[in-house]
Amino acid sequence: MNKRLTIFLLLGLLFVAAFVADIFTGNAAIPFREAWQALLGRSDDPIVLEIIRNYRLPKAITAVIAGAALSLSGLLMQTLFRNPLAGPDVLGVSAGAGLGVALLTMLSGTVVYPFLTALGSMAQVIAAVAGAAGVMLLILSVSARIKDSITILVLGMIFGYVASALVTILQSFADPDSLKVFVTWTFGSLGGVTWQKMPLLLSLFLIGVLTCFFLVKALNSLLLGEHYASSGGLNIKRTRLCIIAIASLITGAVTAFTGPIAFVGVVIPHFARAFFGTVNHRTILPGTLLMGSILMLVCDIVSQIPIANRTLPINAVTALFGAPMIVWIVLKRKKL
Amino acid sequence: MLLKANKQSILFTLLLLYLGSACHPQQKKDEQDMPTPYHASTKLRHAEGFSIDYADDHARVTLHNPWSNRGEPYAVYYLYRSLPEKPPVDGITVQIPVTSLVINSFSYFEFLSLLGETDAIKGVTDGFRIYNPLILDKIESGEIHDLGDPFQPNLEKVMTVKPDAVISSAYAQVDSYSERLIQAGIPVIYSLEWMENEPLARAEWIRMIGVFFGREEMADSLFTAIEERYQTVRESISHLPQRRTVLAGDNFQGTWYVPGGKSFNAALFRDAGLGYRYSNNRQSGSIGLDIETVLTQFSDADFWFGCEADSYAELAEKDAKYLLLNAVKKRQVFNNHNRTTPSGGNSFFESSVARPDLVLADLISAVYPDALPGYSFTYIKPLEEEPFRE
Repeated sequence: MNKRLTIFLLLGLLFVAAFVADIFTGNAAIPFREAWQALLGRSDDPIVLEIIRNYRLPKAITAVIAGAALSLSGLLMQTLFRNPLAGPDVLGVSAGAGLGVALLTMLSGTVVYPFLTALGSMAQVIAAVAGAAGVMLLILSVSARIKDSITILVLGMIFGYVASALVTILQSFADPDSLKVFVTWTFGSLGGVTWQKMPLLLSLFLIGVLTCFFLVKALNSLLLGEHYASSGGLNIKRTRLCIIAIASLITGAVTAFTGPIAFVGVVIPHFARAFFGTVNHRTILPGTLLMGSILMLVCDIVSQIPIANRTLPINAVTALFGAPMIVWIVLKRKKL
Repeated sequence: MLLKANKQSILFTLLLLYLGSACHPQQKKDEQDMPTPYHASTKLRHAEGFSIDYADDHARVTLHNPWSNRGEPYAVYYLYRSLPEKPPVDGITVQIPVTSLVINSFSYFEFLSLLGETDAIKGVTDGFRIYNPLILDKIESGEIHDLGDPFQPNLEKVMTVKPDAVISSAYAQVDSYSERLIQAGIPVIYSLEWMENEPLARAEWIRMIGVFFGREEMADSLFTAIEERYQTVRESISHLPQRRTVLAGDNFQGTWYVPGGKSFNAALFRDAGLGYRYSNNRQSGSIGLDIETVLTQFSDADFWFGCEADSYAELAEKDAKYLLLNAVKKRQVFNNHNRTTPSGGNSFFESSVARPDLVLADLISAVYPDALPGYSFTYIKPLEEEPFRE
């Protein structure tokens, strides 16, 4: 059998196993049988039903989406900027989302309050989307005028720094409780996406991913350098705009719902290239999606291990758990 | 003339009759949608953040929204002893008396202790920061579950504890944690007493939580006793000349947070007869000042409450600038560390809301040592003198 197909099959199995394990493990000790019954909606215990169907299941789906989206966004950035360290946050989109949430948190006790109550916890999502979209529009308008991708990369990072600086200023004015609300958001959480919010997250994600599959050819020619790609008939400016728009959209959407999650986006594309032994996006694009999801599911399982009665912040787990994995692989293969 | 008047009254009566008959069918139709008549309500003396009223078969607790000026409530609770078939849809229905609670807000430990309902506590957050020895023992024995961070509690564990309700601090934002609990059918009782600015108003919230246990009368008499003690303590200094001034808070990484003029602490200073520089300020939270401003504005203050250090030596080591303060020179500096645990529990954060009489007595006793004979400090403690080198 084709080697790549075998890897895909193995990853597929791993994905299913991780997804199932994520649903069947958690802080509440629910026996497998009972959990299965609850998943099918046959449990008599409303609490078990609630935990499995309305908490763990959407959390696992969110993990899949977040892992896949951030990894995909990282892959797009690495290909566009031909920079191995590029990730979903290089364009400042995550920082923009952070600024949106910080503004919301610090201003929520003021005149804007009545507008916020009507939105409930969606207010945070909307604020993050608005912040991410603001930075994204800035990047898009700049990139329409600039020829060089690296300049865009630098400008994106500058926008990110400005957004972070504004967040710091807001924090210094905030009262301790608002500060804690904001800091808790920066920890990242996969459990905040309820069924009501899921359709929005899922549709933004699907729009991004499906558009990406149409860009495979363009992404592959970008690997050879922009000059070569344009001489091959690729409209660089349009492709670049498209890539930036997709990456910002999916990063912004995920960050809005889960908080900033680091590490996954930078590392998974390298993993995918190493595992599949190719840089062809036809293979590593689906590979990245799959591996990103698996890593995030595993990280979610790990984050549920209670330490001093607390679940670990997912943002910390991705880096803490992911880093040794990478080091191990690098040492074993002597390269990524 | 008389006839005219009669004619008018007859016409008026006819009109009324007509209106009455015209309205009648409409009224009948509306009856089903009419809100339940509430025939009695609890008169609150200080608190502004909630109200309690009664219908035939239930009590209604309304928490007012401190962030909104449009008058809509933050939350409404319908408290039934036996649940009706069709509970009201515009609020959270709770069956009382509640017998199991998860508590994310430390102030409620003392309210429940006073009401004799600590057995209802089945879960807490931030267990290591708790002072109450009884609760600590129960956490140790596993009777009370520690559910983690109050801002991100372990949701699965909270659900498996299956509490009748969760008491959680409310902030200006709707948090997804509370939303999830309510969705899972677990009522969330929001703790909003911290938005009250007067010490007695905060303490009166014992009457709010009392209703959930069906203990209104007990809560009322407990609160009345605390109120009376508070007033007695306040009056104990009314005959004394009041010229002492105060500094509060401490320096945290370059910012010194002092209480706003409309804050809980400023109200306590007023009642303790202390002059406070920001008493006319209109903020209810804290005011962040830099240390230079504090040194210029408060260098003459006679007393300093809420210092974070335990000794003058520690203070000098932290920052020699502290030594320029008059309160430090006069050795009239107090922290809130009188009742603490090694892991960070502090009785002040748990019971001071319910017991403002003790907080006030502490202040008065520190400023006027003879005003309350035989009283020893509950929460505050003078900084230790030795060893100290200036």
